[in-house]
Amino acid sequence: MSEQKKSSNPKTESQKPRIGVYICRCGGNISDVVNTDALAGKVKQLGDVAACRVETFMCSDPGQATIVEDIQKQNLNRVVVASCSPFLHELTFRTVVQRGGLNPFLYEHVNIREQDSWAHKHDPVGATSKALRMINAAVGKLHHAEPLERIRMGNHRQTLVVGGGIAGLKTAAELAGKGVPVILVEQSSSLGGRVALLARTFPREDEGSVLAKKLIAQVTDHPLVRIFTRARIERVSGFIGNFDVKIAFEPKPDASASSDPQGAGHSANAAEVYASVGTIIVATGADPYKPARGEYGFGEQPAVVSLADFLRQLATLPNGNFIWNGKRVRNVGFLHCVGSRQVEGVNPPQADGKINDYCSRYCCTAILQQALTLKMRFPDVNVFDFYQDIRTYGGHEDYYTKSSAAGVVFLRYHAEEPPVVEPGENGSALKVRVKDYLTFGEEVEVPLDLLVLGVGLVAHDIPELIDLLKLPVGADRFLQEVHPKLRPVETAVNGVLLAGTAQAPMNIEETLSAAGAAAVKAAIPLSRDAVELDPFVAEVNAEKCNGCERCLTECAYTGALFKETVQVDGESAVKARVNPGLCFGCGACVAVCPTRAIDLKGWTLDQFDAMIDGLVEAVPVEG
Amino acid sequence: MAFEFEPKILVLATLACAYPGADAVGKAHLEYPSNVSILRVPSPALFPEDFFARAYARGIDGILIASCGSDCPYKGAYDKLAARIDRLVQRMKEGGLEIERMRLTAICTVCIKAFLKEVTQMDSRLRELGPVNRSAATEIWQASLRELQAGEIVQMARSAS
Repeated sequence: MSEQKKSSNPKTESQKPRIGVYICRCGGNISDVVNTDALAGKVKQLGDVAACRVETFMCSDPGQATIVEDIQKQNLNRVVVASCSPFLHELTFRTVVQRGGLNPFLYEHVNIREQDSWAHKHDPVGATSKALRMINAAVGKLHHAEPLERIRMGNHRQTLVVGGGIAGLKTAAELAGKGVPVILVEQSSSLGGRVALLARTFPREDEGSVLAKKLIAQVTDHPLVRIFTRARIERVSGFIGNFDVKIAFEPKPDASASSDPQGAGHSANAAEVYASVGTIIVATGADPYKPARGEYGFGEQPAVVSLADFLRQLATLPNGNFIWNGKRVRNVGFLHCVGSRQVEGVNPPQADGKINDYCSRYCCTAILQQALTLKMRFPDVNVFDFYQDIRTYGGHEDYYTKSSAAGVVFLRYHAEEPPVVEPGENGSALKVRVKDYLTFGEEVEVPLDLLVLGVGLVAHDIPELIDLLKLPVGADRFLQEVHPKLRPVETAVNGVLLAGTAQAPMNIEETLSAAGAAAVKAAIPLSRDAVELDPFVAEVNAEKCNGCERCLTECAYTGALFKETVQVDGESAVKARVNPGLCFGCGACVAVCPTRAIDLKGWTLDQFDAMIDGLVEAVPVEG
Repeated sequence: MAFEFEPKILVLATLACAYPGADAVGKAHLEYPSNVSILRVPSPALFPEDFFARAYARGIDGILIASCGSDCPYKGAYDKLAARIDRLVQRMKEGGLEIERMRLTAICTVCIKAFLKEVTQMDSRLRELGPVNRSAATEIWQASLRELQAGEIVQMARSAS
C-alpha cells in the first residue's frame, strides 16, 4: 500500500530541481505588451530551468497538455506558469501539475497580466523586465518548495440553504434527491418567494404559484429536508465541511396565525437551533427595483404602475373592455429599463450614491409577454413599448415577433434621453414625451391611460449574512462568484455557494439552472469522508525548536499551537507543535521564533528571502 | 550617458485585500511604474523585523506593506504587524536608513486609487532619496537578528535556573 503510494508520486524534493517555466500570451493580452519571446530567451538562462515555452493560451487544453507532457518526457519536478492572476488559474495549474505526476504544491503562479501587461501598457520594456523579475522570484521560491499534502478533516454531510424562494427550494430538492440532508432556512413565514406571487410566467404561461407549489411539495414531503420558517442565521463559524450554525426564530406576531402551512419542522417554543453543516448555499434572492417618488411619475400619478402590480391585476380582470380602477383604458405604455442600465449624470443615484448600470435580464421578455397578453385579450387597446434595446434572449424572441405582429408600437429611446412622463390632456391620464430613434430622433408625444414600468431587479439587502459569511459583493451590490464562466456558483469562501438572483438578475429558467448547479457543487465535498483543505498552516521543525514558547504567546487561536514534552537523546524537552485543523495560517508565530524553527507551509521565510533575491538579481531585459 | 536611478520597490500585498486590489488596478487598465514588484502573502505579520532589513541589505529600495488594516481576516495579526513595523522604523531611524523607505498601509480589494497613490508616491520619493544604503541596512539586519536570538538566550537562562 505504502509502496503503491510512493510509486504514484515518484518525483520528490530530493532530486535536483528541473523547473519548467510556461509563459502565456493570453491571446495578446500579455504578449501585446510583454515581449514574451525575449522573456523566454532570458528565462532559459536561469538556473535549473530545464524547459521554457510560450503558448497563446496556457489554460487551454493544448496548453495544459504541453505541461503534462513536458513533466513526463523531460522529467520536470517543479513548474512555473506566468499568466493571469492566481485567483483565476492557480488551482487549474496545480491540478495540471498533479496530472503530470507531481505534487500540486511544487507549482508557482506568476501574475504577468493583471499586475504587469495590463498595468504597464505604455512601458513594454519595463513590463518585460518585471515579468523576468517575477519569474526569477518564483524560480527562487521553488528551490525551497516541499511537496505538501492537503489537510483532511471530517465532514458534516449536511447542507444549509438560506432562502426559501424557488432557488432555495430547487437546491434543497436536488440535494435531498442526492441523499444529502438539507436544512432550509426562510426568513418569512412561507416558502415560494417572489415567484409564488407572479400571475403569469414565461415561457409556459403558467402561474408562478403552480411552479412554487411543485417545488414546495418536493421539499416538504422529503424526509431529508428540515424546514425552518421565520428563521434567520444568527451565527456561523468554521470552514468547509465543518460549519457550525446558529439559527434563531422570529416570534410569531400572534398565536392564532397558525395558517402558516410550512411552519412545521421546529417546536413552536424553540428560540434557536444549532446545526453542523458541510456546505452553505446562499439563495436569498433579489427585490424588484422600487422607483423613487416621481421617477417617471411613480407614486405621483395613479396611472403609473410597476410591472408586477400590473401583472397581478391583469390576471383578475374580466374579458371585454379593459377597465382599470373603474376607467376604460385605450392606450397602455410599457417602459423598459426602469432601475436598470442607468447612466451616470442622467439617472439619479441610488441610496448608496451609485447608479444601477447593469441589465436586469428578465424584464424585456416579461414586458413583451405582458404586452402580447394584453393585445390578445383586449385587441382594441393600443400598446406602446418604450425601449433602449430589446433583449429577448434565450429562445424568447417569439415574444418580440408576435408582439410586433399583433400591433405593439415600438419607440426606441437613448439612455441619455429617457422618456419624460407628464400629466395628460384631453381626458388621458398621462403624456409621455420621447425622442424616438426609430424615426430618426423625432420628438413624439404619446397620450396614455396607463404606464407600466418594467422595473429591474436589485440585490436583496442582507448585510448581516454578508458579514457572517464574509461574502464577496460586486460593484452592483449582488453577491459575487469566483469566476463568471469557470466557477459560476462558487464564492471566494470555500464551501459557500450561490444560487439564483442573490448573485445577479436572472429569469426563472436561469435561476433554476443556477440552483441545480449550486446543489451539485454543494454535494461534491460531502460525497467524501473528509474535506481537503489547503496545507498552508504553521509547522514546527522540532529539531530547531528550543522550547522558548514565544510562539505560543503570539498565537491568537486556541489550541492551534501547543507544547508537548518529547524525549531527545534520553532527556525530556519541551517542543511547540501545531494542530493543523485549528491553525488559520496567519504566521504571527513565525515572526517571533528566534531559531526559525516555525514556518508557514508553502510560505516559508526561506522562500520569501529567495523571492527577494530573485527580484533584485534579475538582469533587466533590454529594449 | 547619465544613468537614471530606478528604485526597486517591493509591495507585500495581503491575499485577502491588497493583492486583489492590485489586480483591480490592472483590470481597470490603470498604470503605475513597472519597477514595482508585488509579492502576495497571507499576512505580513509573519515577517520578523530582520526580514525587511535583509531585503534592504539585498538592494530593495523601498517596501510598501499593503495590508488589510482593520479588515484583517486573522485575529490580532494587524496589531502585531504594526508593532513590528514601529520597532523596525525606530531601528531604521537610529541606523541611518530613511524611514520613508518603509510604509505600512491598508489597501482593500477595490482600493484602486489608494494603491496608485501609494506606489507612485513611494516611487517619486525614492527617486529623490537615491539607492538604499546597503551597509547601513546590513547592520540593522544583523542587529535585528541578534535581538531576536537574544530572546532565546534569556529564555534558556531562565529555564536553566
